[in-house]
Amino acid sequence: MTVADLHSGQTAIIKNIDFSHPSSCRVVEYGFTPGQELQVINKSIFNDPLSVSLRGALIAIRKQDARCIEVFLPNEH
Amino acid sequence: MSIDTERKKLVTLVGPPNSGKTTLFNTLSGKKHKTVNYPGATIEYSISSFLEQFDIDAQLMDSPGIISLIPVSPDEKVTIDNLYNHPEFGKPDVVVVTVDTSQFSRHLLLARQILDSGFRTIVVLTMNDLLKEKSFEIDEMMLSEILGCDVIKCDPRDVKEIEPLVKLIKDNLESKTVQVHKRDKHTEEDILCIYREIEVLEKKVLKDLNTEHHENPLIAQANKELVIAGRGSSIKMPDSLTMKIDSVLLHKVWGIFIFLSIMALMFTSIFWVASPVMDLVDTGIHNFESFVNMGLGDNWYSDLLAKGIIGGLGVVLVFLPQIVILFFVLGLLEDSGYLARGAMIIDKPLSMLGLNGRSFVPMLSGFACAIPAILAARTIQNKRERYLTIFIIPLMSCSARLPVYGLLLSFLFPGKYFLSGLILSLIYITGVIISLIVAGIINRYKRAILNFEDNSSFIMELPVYRIPKLMNVFKDTYSNAVQYLQKAGPTIVIFSLILWTLTNFPNRTVNDTTDMPKGDPSVQRLIEAERINNSYAANIGKVMEPVMKPLGLDWRVGVSLIATFAAREVFVSSLALIFKVTESDDDNMSRSLINEMKNAKINGTGQNLFTTATAAGLIVFFMLALQCISTIAITKKETGGWRIPVMQIIIYTGAAYLFTFLTVNGLRFFGVN
Ligand SMILES: Nc1nc2c(ncn2[C@@H]2O[C@H](COP(=O)(O)OP(=O)(O)O)[C@@H](O)[C@H]2O)c(=O)[nH]1
Ligand SMILES: [Mg+2]
Repeated sequence: MTVADLHSGQTAIIKNIDFSHPSSCRVVEYGFTPGQELQVINKSIFNDPLSVSLRGALIAIRKQDARCIEVFLPNEH
Repeated sequence: MSIDTERKKLVTLVGPPNSGKTTLFNTLSGKKHKTVNYPGATIEYSISSFLEQFDIDAQLMDSPGIISLIPVSPDEKVTIDNLYNHPEFGKPDVVVVTVDTSQFSRHLLLARQILDSGFRTIVVLTMNDLLKEKSFEIDEMMLSEILGCDVIKCDPRDVKEIEPLVKLIKDNLESKTVQVHKRDKHTEEDILCIYREIEVLEKKVLKDLNTEHHENPLIAQANKELVIAGRGSSIKMPDSLTMKIDSVLLHKVWGIFIFLSIMALMFTSIFWVASPVMDLVDTGIHNFESFVNMGLGDNWYSDLLAKGIIGGLGVVLVFLPQIVILFFVLGLLEDSGYLARGAMIIDKPLSMLGLNGRSFVPMLSGFACAIPAILAARTIQNKRERYLTIFIIPLMSCSARLPVYGLLLSFLFPGKYFLSGLILSLIYITGVIISLIVAGIINRYKRAILNFEDNSSFIMELPVYRIPKLMNVFKDTYSNAVQYLQKAGPTIVIFSLILWTLTNFPNRTVNDTTDMPKGDPSVQRLIEAERINNSYAANIGKVMEPVMKPLGLDWRVGVSLIATFAAREVFVSSLALIFKVTESDDDNMSRSLINEMKNAKINGTGQNLFTTATAAGLIVFFMLALQCISTIAITKKETGGWRIPVMQIIIYTGAAYLFTFLTVNGLRFFGVN
C-alpha cells in the first residue's frame, strides 16, 4: 500500500520508495525515507493533494506523487 | 588574476524556504528587504554590503530557497548554478546555511550537501524558540564537531543576538578559501544515505529538555532515543496551532469556501476601501490644476503644465489607493503562510486544465503586474505547465488596468461604489474564467501547441502560519507602490508631452494670433475644436478610424489605445489630455474627466462617444488585449522564442477586437446605448 491509499488521520511507516517513479528523487529530498513515520493530516477537495506530517513539517503532495511511497501500518508488521 | 584579487569577498546565504535567510539578510545588511513565506517567491537575488557597525568588508547575497542541490525547476537550477559560480560575483568565499531546527532533519540535508561540495560553511540554527516550545534543544557544539564546520544558534530577527555570528563570518573570511568541487552525481541513493547519517546524528545532538535533568543519565539517554525514534513524539509533530488552523482552512468543504471568500473579498475591497481616499485625491488634484492655471495665466505653458502633465499624472495618482490595497492584501496572504495552502487547494482543479497548484501564485501576482508573475512561473517544474501558466498570465487584470476600469466604471455607475466594486470583482473573475478556458483549450490540443515532456508533479512544503508582520507588509506595499509610480510616472509624462504636442500642433498659434474676442467661451470652444481636428494627432487617429468605427469609437480613443502599448495606465491620462483639450470649458475648471467624457460627441454626428455600450466595450477590450510591450519582451525571454508571445498577441488582441465589437453592437441591439 502507498501513501495515496491512506485515510485522513491515518499514521503509517515508510517501507520503501519506488525509484522507477519519476518523482522519486524529489520525494526523497523532501524527507520521505524508509523507516520514517508519517501521518495524513488533510485531504484537499477531490481528495487530492494530501497534506502529510513528516519530520516535523507539513508537506502537500499529489496522490500521483505519493504513489511512489510504499508504507505499512504500524500494527501490521 | 588581478580581477580575482580585487573582487570583493562574497558571503552567500543558502537554505530551504522559510528557514530565515531573508530575515538574516535584512539584519546583517540593515537594508530592509522582502521576507516571503511562499517557497520560491524570492526569485531575484538581493545583494548588499554588511551593516557598517559589523565592519565586514564583503558582499552579502540572499538566495531563493532550495531543498537540495539537485535542481528540478528552472529557478532551482539558476540558484544552484549561481551558487557554484555567480557570473558577476564569482564563487562565495563563505556560505552561510540556515537550518530551521523545528524541522531539523529535513533542513540539514542541504547543509550536508553544501559541506560535501567543499564550501567554507557556517551553519546557522534558526527557530530555536519554536524547538524549545516542543521542549527540545540542539547541542551546537556536538553538531559542529560532527559536521566539521562552524555551527551557531541565532534568532535572525534579533540584531542583538547577531554579534557572535558576525565574528564567525569574519573569522571564516580570513581563512584561506577552499576548493569547491561541483558534485553532479547526487542520486536518490546518495540522499537516502545522507538522511541515514542525519538520523544517527539527530539522536546525538537533540536534547530533550524534559528528560535532560533526569536522575539517572542512562535512563535519560534511553528515554531520549525512545522519544526521537518513537511515534507521536512532539518533535515529529508539526506546529500544533498550524494543524488546528489547517483543519479549518484545508477542510474539504470549508476550505474551498474560505478560499473563494478570501479571493472575492480581496477584489471587492479594492474598490470599497479605496473609494473615499480616491475622492480626496481627485479633489486635491483638480484644485492644484486650477491653481496652476490661475497662477500662470492663459498661455501655452500653463496649459501644458495643467492639462498635460498635472492632469495626466493626477488621473493615475487617483488610482494609487486601489493599487496599494491590492499589494497590501497580497502581502498579507504571502506573509501569513496562506498562499501555499491556496496552491494546494487549487492544485486538483488546475491540474485538470493542464496547470499546476504552483501556477496559483504566478496567477495571483498577475493581478499586480504580469512581469514578476511571469518570472514567478519559474517555480513550476514541468515545462508545459510553466509555458501554459505564462500564456494565460496576461489575462489576469493587472494593476495597470485598474485606472482604466476605475474610470470606465465611475463613468458607467457614478457614485455607486458598491455596485462598481461588485462589477470590478466580476471583471477579475471573468478574466480568471477566460484564462482557465484558454488553458483548457490549449491543454486539449497540447500535442500541437505545447508539446513537451510530461511528468507533472506537486510536492510543496506548507509553512507554519504566522501573524503577518504588519511593518514588513507595509514596507513591501510602499516599495511596490513607489515602483509602480516610478515605472508609470515617466512614461505618462513623456506620453502626455507627446500627446499634448500632437493635439496642439500644427495649429496652436492660430489660437494666439486670432483677433477674435478671447473671453467668449463658445468661440473659444469652436477654435479649439477646429484646432484639434486638424492636429497631428487627428491625422494619426483618422488612419485608425475605420478600425475604431465598428466599435462605436472614434480616433481620439484610437490615439489613446496606441499610447497604451507603452503602458496601459497611459490610456486614462491620454484620454484626460485629449478631452480636456477638445472639450475644455474655462468657466468650470473643476469638471472632471468623467463629465468631459459624457459630453464628448463623435465628430459630425452629434452622437455621444462614450455611452454605456462603448464604455462596456472598452472594458472588454482591456480585459482581453495584450497591449504591454514589457510583457511581450519578458515572455519571449522566458519561453526562449517568439512563438508564444506572437501567438498571444494574435489570439488575445484579435479576441479583444472581436468581443468588443460583439459587446458594443450586442448592447445596442438590445437597446442599450
Ligand atoms: N519564531 C521564529 N521565527 C523566525 C526566526 N527566524 C525567522 N523567523 C521568521 O520566519 C519567517 C520566514 O523567514 P524568511 O527570512 O522569510 O525565510 P526565507 O524563506 O529563508 O528567506 C519570517 O516570518 C521570519 O520572521 C526565528 O528564529 N524564530
Ligand atoms: Mg527569502
